[in-house]
Amino acid sequence: MSMLGTAPGTPDDVRQQEAAARAHRRANRSRRRYWREVGWRHIVGILAIAFAMYPVVWVLSASFNPSSSLAGQQLIPDNLTLENYRTLWETGFPRWLWNSLVISGTAAFLTVLLCALAAYSFSRMRFRGRRGGLLTLLLVQMFPQLLAMVALFLMMIRIGDIFPAIGTGTRAGLILVYLGGALGVNTWLMKGFFDTIPTELDESARVDGASHAQIFFQIVLPLVAPILAVVGLLAFIAIINDFVVAQAVLSTNEESWTMSIGLFRYIDQRYGARWGPFAAGAVVGSIPTVLLFAWLQKYIVSGLTQGGVKG
Amino acid sequence: MATPTQTPRMRGPDRDEPEDRAHPLERLGERLGGDGGLLATLARLTVVAITIVNAVLFVPRMVADEAWVGVAVTVLASVALLAVYLTKRAVPLKYLVPGTLFLLVFQAYPVAYTGFIAFTNYGTGNILDKGQAVERIVASSVVIPEGAVRYDAAGMATEGGDGAVALLLTDPEGNEFLGIPDEGVVSLDEAGEVVRDGDRVTQVGDYVRLNLRQVQDRQGDFSDLNVPVTEDGEVVGAIALQTFTAAARAEPTRIYDPDADTLTDISTDTVYRPVEGTFTSDAGEVINPGWRVPIGVDNFTRAFTSPLIRGPFTRVFIWNYSFALGSVLLTFAVGLGLAITLDHEDLRGKRIYRSLMIVPYALPSFMTALIWAGLLNTEFGAVNRMLGGSIPWLTDPWLAKASILLVNLWLGFPYMFLVCTGALQAIPGEVKEAATVDGASAFQSFRHVTTPLLLITVAPLLIASFAFNFNNFNTVYLVTQGGPPIVGAQTPAGHTDILISYVYRIAFESGRGQDYGFASAIAVIIFLMVAGISAYSFRYTKALEELQ
Repeated sequence: MSMLGTAPGTPDDVRQQEAAARAHRRANRSRRRYWREVGWRHIVGILAIAFAMYPVVWVLSASFNPSSSLAGQQLIPDNLTLENYRTLWETGFPRWLWNSLVISGTAAFLTVLLCALAAYSFSRMRFRGRRGGLLTLLLVQMFPQLLAMVALFLMMIRIGDIFPAIGTGTRAGLILVYLGGALGVNTWLMKGFFDTIPTELDESARVDGASHAQIFFQIVLPLVAPILAVVGLLAFIAIINDFVVAQAVLSTNEESWTMSIGLFRYIDQRYGARWGPFAAGAVVGSIPTVLLFAWLQKYIVSGLTQGGVKG
Repeated sequence: MATPTQTPRMRGPDRDEPEDRAHPLERLGERLGGDGGLLATLARLTVVAITIVNAVLFVPRMVADEAWVGVAVTVLASVALLAVYLTKRAVPLKYLVPGTLFLLVFQAYPVAYTGFIAFTNYGTGNILDKGQAVERIVASSVVIPEGAVRYDAAGMATEGGDGAVALLLTDPEGNEFLGIPDEGVVSLDEAGEVVRDGDRVTQVGDYVRLNLRQVQDRQGDFSDLNVPVTEDGEVVGAIALQTFTAAARAEPTRIYDPDADTLTDISTDTVYRPVEGTFTSDAGEVINPGWRVPIGVDNFTRAFTSPLIRGPFTRVFIWNYSFALGSVLLTFAVGLGLAITLDHEDLRGKRIYRSLMIVPYALPSFMTALIWAGLLNTEFGAVNRMLGGSIPWLTDPWLAKASILLVNLWLGFPYMFLVCTGALQAIPGEVKEAATVDGASAFQSFRHVTTPLLLITVAPLLIASFAFNFNNFNTVYLVTQGGPPIVGAQTPAGHTDILISYVYRIAFESGRGQDYGFASAIAVIIFLMVAGISAYSFRYTKALEELQ
């Protein structure tokens, strides 16, 4: 679009003037054309960003606002303070955050492990029931665990009667429940990636005397690291976002609450008074997910078209 | 992968290799050690160790608790695990078993159990099994009859007075007993070493005598205390404190006859028979609590026939579909629009737009749902203050629906934007050029060339998104909690409730108590509908093609 400047010091003045006049006319026309073709796109883009960032900006501002009530909010606070963060730290929040990280981290790690094992056998071995198994997994993931929340709730109470350590109100119990949903679409995602690793690698290793387990742990796993990261991240995000299964399993024991339960109960019906500390909690609680997302963004974006829907 | 020189103890049905004559210990060592390198050995040893420890820890406790299903599952799972990991056969199973085991226990079983509960009356008032209910009814009918055996009583407790409580009982003939709650009455000689101060007993075994003041301090413990009295192994009554120093033997007025399966009230001579999980007299009088029993399809017929439930249920049902469909269409329209708008070669700062626009996608959705609930608050919310009104965003039935869709649009458009951008860029430029050369206008080219190509990639994702939003609990529950409530609904139902939040509220929040049976019946209905969606989407799933 840079048609306004002509090179200085051209010997022929007449030609230069003509060129300048032409350029001016062109510039007028092209400015109109620019707006018709490109400029309006910026306006749409800016509007979309305003919509996307609207709650984010409000929450960031509220978390530093000296007034902790919803009524006292301004987009740009008069002065900034960390008071809300201090109040937040005196609630159960540190424990909720820790519980969320422990539960999501452990469950995501084990999900990756279980998934990789299953994907390896589906990708590399041929056995009776392979096709049926893959189809079953596709079918299973259509029925999310939260549909069975009542049964899970009653089942965990019963388990807790006999083994309090993994029953209702325990983090270990919730992790076990989440592992029930480990296989499914993730296995498909992984299998697809495993399929892209040439089998010649396996075969040459086998010729050298490696066992199936050695091939899995020492040759295949390092090569599929990107998909392990993506599945781990998707699992982590889905689990940290879960409210209803966590609530069904953990609600009886306040010590074990995750962020979603804790913050919901903290803010529920008290939007007026507790907005500031809640906003601080939202900021702190989002950091782990945002960091992970930023780190793995390029993998996620390419994985999206293969069917991962965020939970 | 099977090597011919193996001797698995668990033989597969199709095994025909000759047996190995090596020393059993050697074979065991080989199996445990394997030849899979350090990691594989460790993994295998871990699985085996966990299996054995689990079985040893869990089975005795489950037997003690008579949890026979659990025993069967644990034993079968342990045998299967050992069979798979201690032999060299069934290599694929070694990789599939761990995930499958969790899948069976924590996904397949709960689903099947949901199906079972849906056909029972499980819920408040019918929470116990029959044995527990009978026990509870008999225990709560206990009264002290005229001419009952009375005792002088003194409180006792372990741990120097802070531990478990018991009663020191003296009957009218002067015989002394120790009455321990939940255990029974034992004569002092059998109860442990007795320490006396003159005639006065001060300690029996671990129990020390409390003075009146101490008994009063622990009033709660002592007033709840019941010492069962057994004759020939049957509980025939219970001893309880009447005052702080006197106890009496009380007897039940309701007697259960296990042979006739009836409950008789001796004081009125009324006979109660079990009807649908409650003891009911011929006159129709019922005794609480009831117990859980299968009641057939009642829960399902209630949803469709009971007038106070059917109305709200139908509304929830319709809104569920509208919400899921509306969310998909809105997010897709906005996402596609933005993708087309920002996909222009001369546009500067595309990367900045993209990275800022996907911020909603990167934030935890439960958090942003709660944030929106605050921003849309009628009195103090930022949205209303910006607009300068007091619009009831979350409390008006229609506005609440619109708000939910708005929040879900905010949560979902970045995903659609990313997907559409990717799909648009994957369409080869020559195709569009060819259309232009043939004289197609920009709109025609978009309508007849771009859209069909785009839909091939995006259609399965739209169906997946529909299925996801169909059960999008977080957006609905965390923003409005299903509210505002539908007036006159018998079950807790709100104008923005979708089926899954309706299930949650029936099961866990109802003011009239929990109704697990009905909640499960609704869950089963959702299952059926999701199955319908899935059957439809299977036809679009590319992944299936490679399997055919």
